[in-house]
Parts: sequence; structure tokens; C-alpha cells
Amino acid sequence: MASLSEMYDVGWEEMRDKLRKWREDNCRNSEQIVDVGEELISEHSSKLGDDIWIIYEQVMIAALDCSRDDLALTCLQELRKQFPDSHRVKRLTGMRLEALERYDDANKHYDAILQEDPTNTVGSPAWLAAPRKNVTCLCLSRFVGDQEAWHELSELYINEHDYGKAAFCLEELMMTNPHNHLYCEQYAEVKYTQGGMENLELARKYFAQALRLNNRNMRALFGLYMSASHIAASPKVSAKVKKDNIKYAAWAAAQINRAYKVSIEMSYLDSTFHCFYSFFFFIGY
Amino acid sequence: MHIQLTSQAYCKMLLHTAKYPHCAVNGLLVAEKTKEKKKDGHGGPVLCVDCVPLFHGTLALAPMLEVALTLIDSWCKENNYVIVGYYQANEQTQDSRPNQVAQKVAARISENFNEAVIVMVDSSRLTMSCFEPIVFIYDHVENKWKNREVTTDAFEDWNEAQTITSALLVGRSYENLIDFDNHLDDLRNDWTNPAINKSVLDLC
Repeated sequence: MASLSEMYDVGWEEMRDKLRKWREDNCRNSEQIVDVGEELISEHSSKLGDDIWIIYEQVMIAALDCSRDDLALTCLQELRKQFPDSHRVKRLTGMRLEALERYDDANKHYDAILQEDPTNTVGSPAWLAAPRKNVTCLCLSRFVGDQEAWHELSELYINEHDYGKAAFCLEELMMTNPHNHLYCEQYAEVKYTQGGMENLELARKYFAQALRLNNRNMRALFGLYMSASHIAASPKVSAKVKKDNIKYAAWAAAQINRAYKVSIEMSYLDSTFHCFYSFFFFIGY
Repeated sequence: MHIQLTSQAYCKMLLHTAKYPHCAVNGLLVAEKTKEKKKDGHGGPVLCVDCVPLFHGTLALAPMLEVALTLIDSWCKENNYVIVGYYQANEQTQDSRPNQVAQKVAARISENFNEAVIVMVDSSRLTMSCFEPIVFIYDHVENKWKNREVTTDAFEDWNEAQTITSALLVGRSYENLIDFDNHLDDLRNDWTNPAINKSVLDLC
């Protein structure tokens, strides 16, 4: 079978750069990573220098996604040989056990790590009530790459409908990453989902904050429109609050309108987006 | 009520599932709006002609779901469709029963179409050859969601659905499948998936 480099006429440097770009953009296109990474590792490992270790990690995680345990194990073994005491590599071992659904082994593995280094204990009460085995495993991995672990944990809590704990995780993330518009926007979504006037107002504020950080975040724009509209439509708010929120909603609507117009012009799409204009009349005020 | 899936609907559901093997995915099922209302309520089967892929990853957040439901509802009205069901594929490690999210969305759909169904896709059985249907169909009976046995009757043409889905999976067409999340990332991404619809048509 022809190799990727033969089929697409790309050199190993391009493949290496592609993998780097996917790492930086946090892309989870696992099949492509496996295709490119596997070939890079088997044919060009000597040329990659120190990059090879991060590539092994990236390919290992992608291989688990694609149920390619053979490849995942190969990568893991290389990493273990090179970094025998690394916590980061131990976390990857745990991740592989979880992917193979060997949760008891994963738990034992994490317990062993904690025994070796008891300073890696987690103190926050949010962790104590972890609902599922793999959540427990995950929270123990906070000693490596905190950000990633907090974010994965927030997603697990969302899937368990535990919005309070999800909000807690996102608050941690926003504290350490105040310029990240995605965390603001996700926090706003969680608050909106929790419901109630106080949460809706918080949601609106954080959607607005996300927009200040990145004025092209469509989710934040839609979220601002939805939360402001719901507040304005509520019979419980004062006339002033109603008036203010109508203004916010109208502003958001205009921005969304403009964003669609621009994208239609750029791509010659047509009828799909006509449906959009009736969107603004669904909440009457 | 008897529901039938066309090749296009089944195919796009599976492409969505295949595109995000490590995530839960969900979407809506639509049928053409029929004018006649049979008095005894036992008309022909409701034909799901298409599906709209919605989200991948975290499915349990409200605001974008509300936006999607509203936009897609408008689109349906323009195209004489009605939303008749909801599909979901759980992460591979979870079971295939409708969870809270599925039930909530289905309840919302039932406000407009009182025999809404939930279709759960069993992602653990997803293969390139698609030799058997990997969906469970749930009807709302006596306030509970009950699993109905899925035979080839649940498809307008199972052989066609199987052939087309398999061909598109092998050809990795799922890389080009657009869901509502992709649309929110870049408005130019078209969640009606015209290119894939054309591929399906070409293979019919």
C-alpha cells in the first residue's frame, strides 16, 4: 500500500508540522493523526529529534480513540523507556487502561501513583463526590496538566447533569485563564442551563465577557441574545431591567444578522439562512 | 405509530457517529409534512426523510440546543418538514438507553408532533460493512420510553441504506459531515449537508 507521503507528495517535515498544528489547535481528528503519525514514527523517527516524544504522546491518544491499541501500546512503551518516572507518562498509562475499560486496573494504577507521591492529593470538596469510576480516575490526574483535567472534569459533570460542580471547575479555569473566551462562554452556558433569574443574568454577563474577549464567538453572541431575551420576557423583572435587556438582545440580534450576511456573501449559500430571519421573532417582546 | 428511515436519514446518523468516535452525538429526525389526517390515526408509516446532526461532546447544555431547535424549526417550516424524532449515540462506554437529555428533547418535540420517537445509535457496533441495523427505536407508550424491535421494516429500503452507508463510511465522507456545532464554529458550514445529500442521491 502506498504511503501517505507517496500518495500526497508530502515530505516528513510537512507531516511533522501538520501534527504540530493539530496539537496547537487542540484538534481531535484522531484518524488523521494516526495515519500521519504512524508513518512519521515508523519511517522518519530518527529525523524528528526531541519532537518525537510529544508526537508519541499525541499519536498514542489518537490511537486510543481509533481503537488502535497496538499502536497506542508501541508509543506508550517508547515513552516509558525514555521517561521511566514521569507522572505525565503514568497518566497516559492510566488513560490507556480506561480506554480498554479496565477501570479496576486504572484505579489501582492511580492509587499506586498517589502512594508514591502523597503530595499529589486533591483537597477540593468537588472531587470527593465523583459519580463514576472514570471520573474518579480522571480527578486523580489533576497533578498533571491541571487545565486539561479541570476541563475534562467539567465536561464529565455536565454529562452527569451536575451543573453546580461543572460551574466550579469552569470557575477554576477562568481564574487561571482570564483571557480565554471559551471558558467564559462555557461557564455562561452552564449557568443558563441551571436556570432561574440570577443564573440567567450571570449567564448574560459571562456571554458578554466572552464576546469582549473574542467578538467572533458565535455561541457567546447567540447566548447573549437568548439570555437577554428570556430576562426581558420574564414577568418578574422591573421595567428598567426589561428595557436594558431588550437593548442587549437587539444589539446581539443585529450582530448575528451581520455575521450571517458576511458568511453568506463569502460562501454563496442561500436558502438555508433565510430561516434565520424568523428566528428573532420567536420571543415576543 | 410506525416510523421508517430513508437511506439518507440512516446514513447521515451513522456518518455523524463515525466522525466523532470518542464522543456522544445527537441530532433531529425530520419527515415531510402530510396534509391528510387519517381519522383513525392509522395511516401509513411516517417516513423520516432526513436528519440534522446537532452536537458532539457535551449534549447536556441548554442554550445552543434552544438555538438549534428554533433555527431548524424555521427551516422545517420553509421546506414543509416537521421534526418527528431525535437521535443520539452515547459514548462507547455507556449503554444505549435514552438518557435525560434524550427524553427532554423528545418531550419538546412531542409538543409539536405527538408521536415523536427516540432513535439510539449503538456506536459500539458501528462497522464499515453495516451488515446489520445498529439502531434502537423507542416509542413513548404509557408515559415510558419503550424499545421496539428493529427489523428491516424500519427502513424504506434496508439494502439500499446498507449499501450507501457502507460506501460513504469506507470513503470517509464523515470527515465532511457538518453538524450544528461545526456551524457555530464557522457559519459557512452548512448543517443541511448538501454535498453528502448529493452523494447519497448519486448512489441510489
